[in-house]
Amino acid sequence: MFEFKVEVDKTNPIVGVKTTENRGFTPEELAEQCVAKVISVSDSTHPGIRDQARAFSKHIEKVVAYYMRQAIRSDRTTVYNTLKDAGHPDLAELIRRL
Amino acid sequence: MAFTGNFMCTSFKVELLKGQHDFTNGQDAFKIALYDNNASFTAATTDYTATDEVAASGSYSAGGGTLTNVTPTSSSTTAFTDFDDITFTSATITARGALIYNTQTGGGSGTTDTVVVLDFGSDKSSTSGDFQIVFPTADASNAIIRIA
Repeated sequence: MFEFKVEVDKTNPIVGVKTTENRGFTPEELAEQCVAKVISVSDSTHPGIRDQARAFSKHIEKVVAYYMRQAIRSDRTTVYNTLKDAGHPDLAELIRRL
Repeated sequence: MAFTGNFMCTSFKVELLKGQHDFTNGQDAFKIALYDNNASFTAATTDYTATDEVAASGSYSAGGGTLTNVTPTSSSTTAFTDFDDITFTSATITARGALIYNTQTGGGSGTTDTVVVLDFGSDKSSTSGDFQIVFPTADASNAIIRIA
């Protein structure tokens, strides 16, 4: 007889939920989530390696956040030009100043 | 009525043995619908329902959002699959839980067969902001759907 189990933890939440109020996520918040997906460090790892891995994670977080901010600025440039070309210079200026 | 925990739907297990769910990326389309705490789902839940679903807001519309499947894989003797995190933007939502369901069960279309009931543990709210669902790490110990 073979038995395979497809079950979930009934009691503890399985998925995480993150929400914001009157804003979107910041690059820093998203960078933290991004790095958590890419790098995981077990608590039982050798302390020397664990500390090094966590320091590396923090560094990567900063790099990711930096490029996210760059991506936002770059996209705003694109949006600015699209609105300006469509005859909405005031709206375009509003976007540029964000 | 209220959410009473997480459940892997029994009908899903049966359909799994019938080979009716394909989690391969690009195959069956799975959706996640959000509900308030008036909803009452258990392992006996078989289909998506609009009753007690949160109202459409921002990028959230009736029926919920389409998930991106991560093709199943394995580690040691455990097989598992995952979904990409999903974010509903510019949304005002208060939800206590969710249903994941397959809209293409058995290669069909427009199906509503439930996979899993998710209890968030408490009401989660966004106000004119982002409402993001973060799936657990895709590994043999944590992935949302695992066969051990």
